[in-house]
Amino acid sequence: MWYDSWYSAVWRRLRSHRVAWCPLVLGWLVGIASWPLPAGAEQLTIYSGRAERLIKPVLDAFTQQSGIHIALLSSGTTELINRLKAEGDRSPADILITNDAGSLELARAAGLLRPVNIEEVTHVIPSQFRAPDNSWIGLSGRFWIIVYNTTVVQPGQVTSLFDLADPRWKGKIAIPNAGSEYLQAGVSVLRAGVGDERTKQFLIGLRDNAGTQVYQKSSQIVEAVAKGQVAIGIVNHYYVYRHLAAQPSAPLAIVMPDQHEGGLGAIMNVAGVAVLKHTPHFDQAVQLIKFLVGETGQKMFADLDKEYPLNPNVKADSALVDRRSFRPAAIPLTKLAELREPTLQLIEQVGLR
Amino acid sequence: MPVARNHFASPLQIMALTSALFMLAPLAYVTASALSADTAVWHRLWTTRIPELLTNTILLAGSVAVLTLCLGVSTAWIVTRFDFWGRRVWEVALVLPLAMPTYVLAYVYNYLLGFGGPIEQLWQAVAGSDSHLVSPQSFWGATLVMTLDTFPFVYLLTRSALLNMNVSFEEVARTCGVSSRQALFRVTIPLLRPSIAAGIALVILYVISDFGAVSLLRYQTLTYAVFQQMTGRSDNTAASILSLLLVILALAFLLTERWFRHRSRFYQTTGRYRAPERIACTWRGALVLISYLATVVGASFALPVSMLVLWSLSPEALATLDSRFWGFIWNSAFLSGLAATIGVLMGLPLAYLASRRPSWFSLGCLQAAYAGYVLPGPVAALAVLALFLHTMPFLYGTVIVLVAAYVLHFLPAGLQSLEPSLQQITPNLEEVARTLGLSMRETWRRVTLPLMRNGFIAAWVLMFLQAIKELPATLLLRPVGFDTLAIRVWLEASEEYFRLAAPSALLIVVVGLPALTLLLSRDWRVG
Repeated sequence: MWYDSWYSAVWRRLRSHRVAWCPLVLGWLVGIASWPLPAGAEQLTIYSGRAERLIKPVLDAFTQQSGIHIALLSSGTTELINRLKAEGDRSPADILITNDAGSLELARAAGLLRPVNIEEVTHVIPSQFRAPDNSWIGLSGRFWIIVYNTTVVQPGQVTSLFDLADPRWKGKIAIPNAGSEYLQAGVSVLRAGVGDERTKQFLIGLRDNAGTQVYQKSSQIVEAVAKGQVAIGIVNHYYVYRHLAAQPSAPLAIVMPDQHEGGLGAIMNVAGVAVLKHTPHFDQAVQLIKFLVGETGQKMFADLDKEYPLNPNVKADSALVDRRSFRPAAIPLTKLAELREPTLQLIEQVGLR
Repeated sequence: MPVARNHFASPLQIMALTSALFMLAPLAYVTASALSADTAVWHRLWTTRIPELLTNTILLAGSVAVLTLCLGVSTAWIVTRFDFWGRRVWEVALVLPLAMPTYVLAYVYNYLLGFGGPIEQLWQAVAGSDSHLVSPQSFWGATLVMTLDTFPFVYLLTRSALLNMNVSFEEVARTCGVSSRQALFRVTIPLLRPSIAAGIALVILYVISDFGAVSLLRYQTLTYAVFQQMTGRSDNTAASILSLLLVILALAFLLTERWFRHRSRFYQTTGRYRAPERIACTWRGALVLISYLATVVGASFALPVSMLVLWSLSPEALATLDSRFWGFIWNSAFLSGLAATIGVLMGLPLAYLASRRPSWFSLGCLQAAYAGYVLPGPVAALAVLALFLHTMPFLYGTVIVLVAAYVLHFLPAGLQSLEPSLQQITPNLEEVARTLGLSMRETWRRVTLPLMRNGFIAAWVLMFLQAIKELPATLLLRPVGFDTLAIRVWLEASEEYFRLAAPSALLIVVVGLPALTLLLSRDWRVG
C-alpha cells in the first residue's frame, strides 16, 4: 500500500539523519530538566480566576512600567484555590487574583495568604473592601444585575431578582452555572438577606424558568440576551457594558435589582488580590499591588473592564449607573466565606446545574 | 538456557508489573474514594443530579450509536460495492472527520446553527422571520456533532469487513433461491455484525468520555459533570462518585461488546476467497451516490474546515499569531511528544511479554493497562491528581502529572498498535537469530526492534495525536504557563470568540491529517 511505503520512507529518512536527531532529543531533555524554572528575581507567578482578557492588559501595563515579568495561569477561582491548597509550600504562585471576595476569605481561612499592611493600600481602599488583617485587598467592584433585551421586556416589568422566579418568564431566562462563584456569592447574600426558605423557593423558580439556559460564562449570557435568544439574564454588570462598548446598538438595558423601600439592595462582590504566604518575591508582589490599587491600575479596571474602581479618587466609566444612585445589599463581604458551604448544599439540593 | 531466559525476563516482568500497577492505581483510587464517601452525599446526588446525568449520557450515546450505524454502514457499503467516479478519493475522504476534535466541530456548529447564525438566517428567508431552528446547544446539537465526528469508526470497521468478506456466502444464498435483498439481511449483515458492533462500541466509549463538545454545547453528561464538580467544589467526593458511575457505564458497554463479539465468530472455512465485484453505476446513480457522500463529508469536514480557514484569515485572528502562539505550539508538541514516548516505552514490555510469554501474569498486566479506556479525561485527571498528592506531592503542578494522565488515558490506543505488530513477528525469527549466535540483546536490536518499528511508529503517532487534542485533563492539570493549542481553542470558543480560536483549531486538524493514513492502512478485522 502506498501509505506503508510512506512510513518506510520516513523511517529511512529519520535513520539517515541520526546526527540531526541528537540536538532534538538533547533540546527535549534540556526542556524537561529546566522545568520548572527556578523563577528569576524579576518574575511573578500569578494564579488568576478572572477571565484572561479582563486582567492581562493590566498586568501587561505593569510589566511595561516595572520590568517585572509575569507568568499567568488563568483558571477557575475555586479550582485555583484547590490547587493552592494541594501545592502547599511548594506552590510556584506568588499572587492570587480572584473574581470573588468569598473565595479570598476562604483562602485566608485556609492559611494561604500573607497580609499586606502598607499605607498605599489602606489609604485608598475602603476597609469594607479588604480583609480585616489585609490578607486580601479588593480591587474593583461588580454588581449582580438583571440584563434584559429591550425589544422583549419593557422597563419596569422586572425590578427585583425575585421577579425572575415568576412562571411568566419560563424559558426566557439565562443564568450562570452552579459552579460559578458569582452565583454562589449571590445566593449567599440572598440567604443572609431573606432567609433560607425564601431563597430556596426563589432558586426553584429560577431553575424551572431557566431550564437548559445555563451558561458557563457571563459573556455568553449577555450574548444570548442581545441576540434575543432569551429575554433576561443575570450577570455581573460589566459584561453588559463591555458588550455595549463593542456594539453600541445592541438592544440591552440593565436593572439594578431590589432598590425599592425595604428591598435587599443590589448584590455586590469585589474582584481582589492577595499575596501567598510562601512567596519569595514579596517585594515585587507588593509592587504589583501598589500598581493595581494606584490610579493607573484602577483606571484600567474602570475603562477597559467597566468595573467600579474601589479607589475613590478614580471615576467609574460614565456609561455606568452612577455608583451613588443605588444601594448595595448590606452584607459584609467577609461573611461570604462562612456562608459558602451551606449555600453550596442549598444549590445542590435545589438541583441547579 | 532457561536460566538465561529467566534472568532476562525478570526486569521486563518488573517493568510490566510497574506499568500495570500505574494504570490500575487510579481506577482503584476512584473506586475507593467513591465507595468511602458519606452516604448522605450519595443520597443527595441520587435525588438531584444522577438521574438526569445518566439519562442524558445514555440517551446521547444511544442516539449517536444509531445514527453512526446508519451513516457508517451506508458509506462503507457504497465505497466497497459500487464503482463510480472518484471512488478512491471518497474512500479516503470519509476518514477525514477523525482529524477533527469534537470541540472544534462543536464550536463551528455552535456558530453555524446558532441563534441568528447563517443557517438560521437562510431558514428564516424561506420559512418567515419568526421561525427558529432548534438550538445547537441541546441534545440535538450534541447528537449531530458527535455523530459527524465519530461515524468514521463504524465506516472503517465495516469497510474493512466488507473488503475481507468472501462473496461466495452471498452467492450460495442466491443460488438457494434467496432474493438479493434477503441475502443482504440474512447473510451479509449478520456477517458484518461483529465489525459493526466493534465500531459502535468505539463510538459509544468516545461519546460517553467526550468533554469538549458537550461543554461547548452545554449538554449535561456525566463526564461534563465530573469536570464541573472538580472545578466548582472544594472537595472531590461528588466528583469521584460521578466518576465511578461513568467507569461502570463504560465498562458495561465494553463488556457487552466483548460478549457480543465472542458469541458471533465467523470463519473462513476454505481457502477459496473471492472479493465481490463492484457494481458499475450509471451516471444518474453515480450522481446520487456522490451527492450523498459529498453531503456527509461536507458537513463533517469540508464545511467546518472552510469556516476555520476563513476565520483564521481574518485580521483579529492573524493578530494572534505572535510569539505567544508559537509557545502554545511548542507546549502542545512537547507535552504530546513526551506522553507518546513514555507511552511507547511503557507499552513495549507489556505487549512483548503478552505475545512472547503469555501467562496469566503477563496477560493480566496487559489487560490492566487497558484500564485507561474506561477513564475519561476528567476522571483520569482526578485520579492522577490524587495519586500524586498521596505518593509524590512534590510533583504536583509539574508537567509530569499531566503527562501521567495522558499516558494513563492513551496507552490503550498505543497498545492496540504495538500488540499486533509483535504478534505478527514469528518467534522463529528470534530463535534463528539466537541459534546463529546472536546474544539476547543483539537479537532484540537487530531482529525484533526493526521488525516491529512500524507498529512502534504507529503507536507513537496515535498517542501523540490523541494527546495533542486532549482537553479536560490538560485544563485541570496544566502547569503555569503551559497553555496548549487545545486549551486556547476551548478558552476562546467558550466565550464565543470564534475567530480567535480558529488558527489553533486549524493547526490541530492539519497536524492530525497525515496520521489518518495509519488508520486506513491498519487491518481492522475483528476476530
